[in-house]
Amino acid sequence: MTFSLWWLFTLYLRPIIKWFLRKTTGLCELQRICYGEVNGAPRIRAVERSLALSKSQQIKQLLQHLNDISDNRRFAGTNEREVVRGAVSTVLLVKKVNPHVHFQFVRSLGICIEQIWGYRQLIAEVEALRTTKFDSDCFEHERKLYDLWDNLMPDEGLEGRVTKQWQDIGFQGDDPKTDFRGMGMLGLENLLFFSSEYQAPARHVLSHSHHPVYGYCFAIVGINLTSLAWQMLRDGSAKTYVYNTSKSLPSVRLFHQFYSYLFYEFDRFWVECKPRDIMEFSSIKDRFESNIRTSLQDGNTTFRIGVSVDNI
Amino acid sequence: MGFLTVLKKMKQKEKEMRILMLGLDNAGKTTILKRFNGEPINTISPTLGFNIKTLEHRGFKLNIWDVGGQKSLRSYWRNYFECTDGLIWVVDSADKRRLEDCRNELHVLLQEERLAGATLLIFANKQDLPGACTTDELRDILELDKIKTHHWRIVWCSAVTGENLLDGIDWMINDIAARIFTLD
Repeated sequence: MTFSLWWLFTLYLRPIIKWFLRKTTGLCELQRICYGEVNGAPRIRAVERSLALSKSQQIKQLLQHLNDISDNRRFAGTNEREVVRGAVSTVLLVKKVNPHVHFQFVRSLGICIEQIWGYRQLIAEVEALRTTKFDSDCFEHERKLYDLWDNLMPDEGLEGRVTKQWQDIGFQGDDPKTDFRGMGMLGLENLLFFSSEYQAPARHVLSHSHHPVYGYCFAIVGINLTSLAWQMLRDGSAKTYVYNTSKSLPSVRLFHQFYSYLFYEFDRFWVECKPRDIMEFSSIKDRFESNIRTSLQDGNTTFRIGVSVDNI
Repeated sequence: MGFLTVLKKMKQKEKEMRILMLGLDNAGKTTILKRFNGEPINTISPTLGFNIKTLEHRGFKLNIWDVGGQKSLRSYWRNYFECTDGLIWVVDSADKRRLEDCRNELHVLLQEERLAGATLLIFANKQDLPGACTTDELRDILELDKIKTHHWRIVWCSAVTGENLLDGIDWMINDIAARIFTLD
């Protein structure tokens, strides 16, 4: 019932309302969004919806073209500027908008297009990292593993490559290589970013993970959170975060920042929950996930790691 | 009528089985569970805590508990022993370095009173990997012939390809059914 009503709305009513508004305001829907919606996630998501619903053949072709470019990760550098310029002029042509009068619209639409397809490209980039398996024969991978140790445990040297010391930073056994599993290099890159860019908060979190009662396995929790962040990126929930935070083309760095925020907040949530033991991890993680998803539904959400801990 | 008898009667009605899946970390427990349940297996992270899945198979309702296998979690295994009908012990057949560790954990586990009577299925997992031990080799290394307290069987499998998983599970279900649902 709801479905057929919705179908009726999009097929018949929506074009009528759009036509009516176009005639009365003299602006097309995209212009009304760009002038009316708040900058950031609310505007970009509205533009995304409007473009996706467009019935114009040229717009449909344009979307196809943009999807193809971003899926193949060619949306970068000078190519990116050209692509955005081309996309904006196609829209201007189809919607018969005068760019000299509506120069603000041109700028605003350009930013929206950069973010929408930048996000799509980010999914492809993150996916490429995830499907790269950790390879202990690869010097670079090994180097990153050692860097992770040095960032977290600066005062203690590793006795060897295979050692029980890895458990001090929360790996399962004496060789971390099998712990990355389905998350591949993405898991390691996430941990490495958190421990190098947010060194003080990361060590703070690590010290919590050593708590005699509320302790947990730092690295394994981290890899589980990589999985959570990756799911949210893929299903589009992370759009609110990306659209509100990103100042330019979204990059993997932004995904790492999102992850770092999740890790820092998860630690706080975990301690607050006062779990009986580590076996409560799944249920606490589920609760944490639903909290995050709720706040991402609010279009104004931005996440920032609490500044105060940086000084501890 | 004791409490356990009531439980047993209720179980008979629903044909429900409680299955506990244990083994060292990275043995492939979660992958087996997901593969058996038809979920994607390429995005699994190490299990912290446990996963539980209830699934229907051949008219039986299987409650499968998959508990994390890393050393620091093993002391919590005992919280899941109660009322276990079947125990699946998953072995990474290619991880020769830790087979001794694997044997010790298994034999300690089998001394547990609350697991007495549970059917034991040993999955020799990761048979698709080069250098994986055969079931005969594992039978020796894990000293399986010493087990007199449980009905047991070792079955080769590969959770990644899904090969032979059903054979093992079907054997276990038949063995459990013969024991607890003999009335019908």
